[in-house]
Amino acid sequence: MKKLVESRGIEVAYKEVDVVTTGTFGAMCSSGAIINLGHSDPPIKIQRAWINDVEICHPGAAVDLYIGATIMSETRPFEYGGGHVIEDLISGKEVELRATAYGTDCYPRTKLRTTLTKDDLNQFYLLNFRNCYQRYNCATNSRDETIYTYMGKLLPRFRNATFSGSGGLNPLINDPDYETIGVGTRIFLGGGQGYVIGEGTQHDPRNSFGTLMVRGDCKKMSSEFIHGASFTKYGTTLYVGIGIPIPILNEELAKKTAILDEEILTDIVDYGIPRRERPKLGKVSYKELKSGAITIGDKKVKVSPLSSLKTARKIAETLKSWIENSSFYLTSPVERLPTDTICRPMKQTEEIAFVNSVMHPAVTCTEDEEIKTVANKIISHSVNHIVVADDQGKLKGIVTSWDVTKAVAEGKKKLADIIVRKVVTTKPDESLEAASRKMAQHQISALPVIDHDKKVLGIITSEDISKLIGR
Amino acid sequence: MRTLVRILLRFSEKIVDQPITSQVILEHGIPISIVAAHIDSQGGEILAEVPATHVEKIIDAFREKGVIVTVPKLIEVDTEKCFECGACLSLCPVSAIAFKEDFSVVFDEEKCIGSPCGLCVDACPARAIRLVEQHGSYSNK
Repeated sequence: MKKLVESRGIEVAYKEVDVVTTGTFGAMCSSGAIINLGHSDPPIKIQRAWINDVEICHPGAAVDLYIGATIMSETRPFEYGGGHVIEDLISGKEVELRATAYGTDCYPRTKLRTTLTKDDLNQFYLLNFRNCYQRYNCATNSRDETIYTYMGKLLPRFRNATFSGSGGLNPLINDPDYETIGVGTRIFLGGGQGYVIGEGTQHDPRNSFGTLMVRGDCKKMSSEFIHGASFTKYGTTLYVGIGIPIPILNEELAKKTAILDEEILTDIVDYGIPRRERPKLGKVSYKELKSGAITIGDKKVKVSPLSSLKTARKIAETLKSWIENSSFYLTSPVERLPTDTICRPMKQTEEIAFVNSVMHPAVTCTEDEEIKTVANKIISHSVNHIVVADDQGKLKGIVTSWDVTKAVAEGKKKLADIIVRKVVTTKPDESLEAASRKMAQHQISALPVIDHDKKVLGIITSEDISKLIGR
Repeated sequence: MRTLVRILLRFSEKIVDQPITSQVILEHGIPISIVAAHIDSQGGEILAEVPATHVEKIIDAFREKGVIVTVPKLIEVDTEKCFECGACLSLCPVSAIAFKEDFSVVFDEEKCIGSPCGLCVDACPARAIRLVEQHGSYSNK
């Protein structure tokens, strides 16, 4: 469609093309599968259950369970999770089920252990409450350390970036006004056929962040298009393949489905700042994202997709061949999806404390001061940490009372020899929780607070945090 | 078995100004190709490739001259597990992983540095990338 509109115009394209097929294959965390086990004898009303050590939710009556994609194995966390259980079942593997219950007069059994394959399940349906984002952020990291996020591994100081979604091939970007995609739309789902059952959670069509809720029969899916996945230090998820046919009902739809990667813009977002509103560093098109490198400031940065663009294309092609050989029939929606909802932030009743509410001025010194002077500062201010700064007030290092004591014991005289130069720092708008997690991770008891220019603004210590909690 | 073995040579500040690699090549008459190198006045590192048939001899020759030699592990991609998302691409400092035109992921073993880097390993959502020992029993003293 895109090439045809470009070469011969919308009118011709509208007359010649009946259906445009789309596709995407990416990590979709709000996914899972409903299973029904059938009843045991004596019967059990399952209270808690595990498959391959992954805890399964129990949302309904006695033997209905929901396998959440992001629930991690209790024995192999971060490596194996609900997403992998779904993939294993789809590919025909046998899994182990354990369950416990409190026992009732009608369901007396309290323990159960068995093995299962998909053929042993009455129902096995993928039931995903948020899939198929219209577009998504491009993620990068300003911090001095590598971070592991749901957008993958992000190297320090903008050394790489990641993105998700298939750009111009993405289903919702091709029907942004939901003219053809609605409740009841038949779709390609995980290699089988499924349905759109509503808008997805956090559906935000006005900001081009629309989402879908979908359902499909796992027994007819293929593990080529459904994959469990592991994001280091983040968790497990499920890669889901979705393809949606868009019937070209009018010229406007011909125009909309001709959208190109260069016309789809998204924000470059700094995931190094762990806040709801992460700083936006600029805009980028999917054409640039797919080229392998983007520009952030004046820096060229390598960028990786997290979705498989190759599989997305294969999904669109597979769907096209299904339609051509009459094994897939298009449906018209029985109800339109909302086009005016927004995704609101959470209502919070507790105040969250940030670094700026407890930070206080740091006692500082310069690199050329003598150890003795620094020791005097420690005593006169009764502190344990002296921040080393240069003439402009920029952070150069930190010295603790322990470092000074050690220097005295070892007969060292020069401050330069004992300064710790690799300093873990915080910023005023970081949450106290994140700051204290940093201290615990690095086994330290204070963090200098700096601005984006490394200028020292103050310090927070573990004492400050314990005082706050004890208050 | 690989016909060429990769070895990592570390030169200290004391010996970095000596033409040690050339000396080893001349003394043994064995070709050594340099895959990657980083050298300054503080010392240096060379990732070199030598014929598997002579690797033990070459390693001993470098060690005699005070060079620290290790045999790095190499990256192995399990193509059965890989679903070609490309998450690893932006982590590779030497562009050993790249897309073909159809967005297939291709891995160039020749360019890959192996275990001194390894940045891509824990970034793979499919857990398809592993660091593996080079075949053979080369000593990692």
